[in-house]
Amino acid sequence: MKPVIVVHGGAWAIPDELSNASIEGVKAAACAGFAVLKKGVSALDAVEAAVRALEDNPVFDSGHGAVQNTAGEVELDAMIMDGSTLASGAVSSVRNIANPVTLARAVMEQTDHSMLTDRGANLFAERVGLPTVPTDTLVTEAERRAWQSQKNYAAGVKELFNKQWVHDTVGAVALDSNGNVACATSTGGIRHKMVGRVGDSPIIGSGGYADNQSGAVSCTGHGESILKVTLARLILFHVEQGKAAPEAVEKALQYMGERVQGGGGAIAVCPSGEWAAKFTTERMAWACVDGEALHYGLNPREDFKETL
Amino acid sequence: MHSMRAMLPVIVVHGGAGHIPKERAELSCAGVKEAARGGYGILRAGGSAMDAVVETVTILENNPAYNAGRGSALNVKGGVEMDAIVMDGRTLASGAVSAVRRVANPVQLARLVMDKTNHLCLTAEGASQFARAMGIPEVPEESLITDYARMRWKKNLAPDANPVECQMGKMGTVGAVAVDAEGNIACATSTGGMINQMEGRVGDTPCIGCGGYADNKTGAVSPTGHGEAIMKVTLSRLILFHMEQGRSAEEASDLGLAYMKERVQGLGGVVTVDPKGVWAARFSSLQMAWAAVQSEQLHYGLYVGEHFTESAHEPS
Repeated sequence: MKPVIVVHGGAWAIPDELSNASIEGVKAAACAGFAVLKKGVSALDAVEAAVRALEDNPVFDSGHGAVQNTAGEVELDAMIMDGSTLASGAVSSVRNIANPVTLARAVMEQTDHSMLTDRGANLFAERVGLPTVPTDTLVTEAERRAWQSQKNYAAGVKELFNKQWVHDTVGAVALDSNGNVACATSTGGIRHKMVGRVGDSPIIGSGGYADNQSGAVSCTGHGESILKVTLARLILFHVEQGKAAPEAVEKALQYMGERVQGGGGAIAVCPSGEWAAKFTTERMAWACVDGEALHYGLNPREDFKETL
Repeated sequence: MHSMRAMLPVIVVHGGAGHIPKERAELSCAGVKEAARGGYGILRAGGSAMDAVVETVTILENNPAYNAGRGSALNVKGGVEMDAIVMDGRTLASGAVSAVRRVANPVQLARLVMDKTNHLCLTAEGASQFARAMGIPEVPEESLITDYARMRWKKNLAPDANPVECQMGKMGTVGAVAVDAEGNIACATSTGGMINQMEGRVGDTPCIGCGGYADNKTGAVSPTGHGEAIMKVTLSRLILFHMEQGRSAEEASDLGLAYMKERVQGLGGVVTVDPKGVWAARFSSLQMAWAAVQSEQLHYGLYVGEHFTESAHEPS
C-alpha cells in the first residue's frame, strides 16, 4: 500500500501577504507527516505529526497563532480519529496547551471517554504531564492587532467581518502502508467568538471522520454550517455510495452551500490511495504527498507538483 | 393505514436505554407517558415540533427518575455536568450545551443558543455565562442531585465496584422527536452523562449527528445508550442516511443499532420519525422506556417487543 498524506491550513479568504507563508507551512507539514509514514509508522502518528507542525506555525489559527475570543482569551478545539477502530479523542475550549491534537490523542488512548471540555480537559492535561504555556505565547502580534481593530466594530458589521475573515482551522488525513486511515483537526475557532463556543473541529462526523472501510476526512470553513450538515460524515457517505473522493467532497460542499449557505473546504483520502483537496471559499492552503510527488495549491483548481 | 391527516402531529419520547432496575421501571414508564402527553398537547394546540420537543424534554428533566436535569448522574467528583441539544429540521439550525452546571433545564439553554447566538454549541463556563446573560436563574447543585444518584455514585466509588453493572443501572438520557401539523420536524436530547464520568467529559448528546439530528426532508432521531459508541458511528446521522436510501424509520433504526453493536460493541436505543409521521422506538439494550402519541392514541413500552396502547386522554 502506497502511503498518502493530505493537509490543509484552513479555507478562507487568505490575504496575499499570508499566501507564501501558508503554502510553505502546509508543504512542510505534509512532508513532516509523510516522513512518519515512510518509516512505516501509523496513519494516526502521521496526522498527529502533521497537525503539530501546523499548530506550531503561527501563520495558522491553531495552537500558536490561534485567534482570541470576545474576552481576549484563547480557547482551542481539536480532534483525532483512528479509522481502524473508529476510536476518537477530542478536546474543546481547552486553554494554554500548545498542541491540542496531542491532548486529543491522549483522551482517545488514556480515558474511557471521547471528549473532554474546558477545565476538565486542562485537568486531564496536567494529569498526563502535558505542559501548559502562557496564553501570551500563543497569541501573535498580528492577532492582537486584528482582535483590537475588530473589537470596535458594531455587532452587525462584526458578523459580516467574521464571515469574510474566518481565520481557520488546520487538519490532516493519512493512509499508511497497512491500509489504515486517520484524521486530525485543530483550531482556535473564530475571532471574537463567545466564551465557550465550540465549533465543528472537535465534533466527530463534522470536523473529521475516519473509517478504514471508506476513508478519512478533515473539514474547515464556517463551523456552524459544517455542523449543520455533519460535513465529514456526509462526504464519506457519498464515498460509501460509490463516489470518487474528489466528487464526494465537491457534492457535499455544494450541498452545504445550497442548504445552509456555508462555505468551506475539505481534504479526503480513501483506502485505495485516491485523495482530494477541495473548497468553496476564496482560498485554501493545502498540500499532499502521495509517494513520488508533493502536490499543493491555494487558489481554486490549482495543483502544483514538485518531485521529492 | 391512517390517512396523512391522522398521522400528524406525532411525538415520540424516550427515557433512556439500558437496564432499568425493577423498582424503578414503573416510574420510568409513567414519566415518558406523561411527557409524551405534554408534548402532544402543544402539537394539538397548533404548536411547533420544536416547542413540543423542548416542552417534553423539560418535563423529563424535571422528573427525578431520569438522568437529565434533576436526577442527573454525578461525575467522579460528585458534581453535576449536563449536556443537551435541540435541532430544527426546517433550517438544520441547532443549539447545544456541554458540561453545563447549575441550570435546571439544559434543553431550554440549548434552544437559546440556537435562537440567540451565531453559534451552535457553548460549553462549560461559557454556557453558564450565556445562561446568566439570558436571565436563566442559577440553581443550587444540590437541587439537581437525588438520593438515588448519590447512592449510585458512592457505590461506584467503592473499591469492589463493578462499574459496568453500576453504569447499566442508569443510562437514562432523555429525548424526543416530533412532527407538527405543518410537517416540520424537530428533536431534543438531554443527559447528565455517565456515572462517575471524568470532570469535563462530553458524551454524544450535544454532538450534532450523534446525540440527535433533524431534517424536514428525511426525519429526526434522538438516541440513548453508550455515548462513546454512539459517537463512533454518528448514530443519528447514520439512521437518517439509511432513511434517505429508502429504508423505513424502523428498518433504518434497526440497521443503525445493529451496526453499532457489530462494529463497536455498543448498545443503545433510538426514537425515530419520518416526515409523514411514521415512527419507531427501537433498542438493542435490555430495556428502553418509550412513549408516543399519534391520532389521540398513546403508545408505550419498556421491554423488547412490548407495545401497549391506550387513549391519549386517559389519566395514566
